[in-house]
Amino acid sequence: MTADSSKIRVCLVNGSLRGRHASSLRFLQDVARRISDASCHKTTVMVLGNPRRHYDAETLQVIAAADALVLVFPLYAYGLPGALMRLLEEFDSYVRAGNPHNMNARVYVVVNCAFPRPEATTGEAVRVVRNVCRRLSLNWRFAICIGTGPVVARTRRIPLLDRTLKRAYAAVVADIGNALADPPADFFIHPVIPEPIIRRIKEHYEKKGEMMLQRDIQNEAPTR
Amino acid sequence: MREHVVTAFLVADSDGMSALSVDLGRKLSALLSEKGYEVERIDLTRADAAPCRGCLLCLTKHPGRCVTQDAVGALALRIHHEREPYICLTVSPVLFGHLASTIKNAMDRGVHSHHLQVVVGYGEDVDEEEESTFIDLIARHRGAADIVHPGMDREFLAYVTRSVQDNDAICDSLGVRL
Repeated sequence: MTADSSKIRVCLVNGSLRGRHASSLRFLQDVARRISDASCHKTTVMVLGNPRRHYDAETLQVIAAADALVLVFPLYAYGLPGALMRLLEEFDSYVRAGNPHNMNARVYVVVNCAFPRPEATTGEAVRVVRNVCRRLSLNWRFAICIGTGPVVARTRRIPLLDRTLKRAYAAVVADIGNALADPPADFFIHPVIPEPIIRRIKEHYEKKGEMMLQRDIQNEAPTR
Repeated sequence: MREHVVTAFLVADSDGMSALSVDLGRKLSALLSEKGYEVERIDLTRADAAPCRGCLLCLTKHPGRCVTQDAVGALALRIHHEREPYICLTVSPVLFGHLASTIKNAMDRGVHSHHLQVVVGYGEDVDEEEESTFIDLIARHRGAADIVHPGMDREFLAYVTRSVQDNDAICDSLGVRL
């Protein structure tokens, strides 16, 4: 694969394994759509679901050569998904093995969590990516932290509802095109559904899950 | 002595093993045995621990049962159906202030304890910010800090070790708690 050397090389990393149903994929597509094809060469890297497979050299080279890296991922247990962590481990090994990488690559994060207050849940995952940048001499820029991703993904195109997400996307695109002297602070996107209703939905599924567990235990009781 | 023997799962990343982790595992096993726990050592390779696919079927359709049937899936199901108290000690390399992928995959898929979860990260070159990130990440799961499950009182203890001396100090601290 060859890229026009005059274009900005943008690598978008999809850290979700949920395929086309993933909210993270929608956010990634939103960012990708806004990045100009005329001035940028875009590549998307998907994390691997098969633990026996390794990332091929071409994939690692794409990440290493990127001028801008956009990591889009769901928050798993307040951290990165294991699948994305594996990609970072293999990229770290690739760099430690002496392979060259673009030390000025600008790094952005779009993290999507299931819970309504992203400012209370996403901080450590963003810190991990900041640590990646520090270790690998990459240029950390800023994060877009999205609360209750599935709700935001379904309502993001409703006009005039909440323009913060659109402003955040615009900031990423502008910064990729021409690095701002002072990158903006992290963006926090909240769902339009009030938090008490989201809690009710969560409790419904927890109750349902507990009922099914009790039923399973009763069914299995004679053999336990 | 407690009336029933409590199982202690000692989960480690066998691909990320180092002299430091071997020393830590040996000392933790000895401590747990000394305290009367029945130690079950589980060394996971990367092939044992596929990543969580985020389908949520383990919550909504068949609780505790992961659609991916591998060593971690079997362990998670066993842990989910476990009615007796048990504790879980997880030992993981620290990379960028995060758990290694094999251990993270296992935890994402339900390999943890609702009674006492101890997570020990190791690495000789872990810096202060990475240690702080790691400790804060694990502490998010604990008690009032857990905004997702407020009021949850299960214990999550987190440590980071860089040396055999740190291993000794961690075992001393854990010995008081156990």
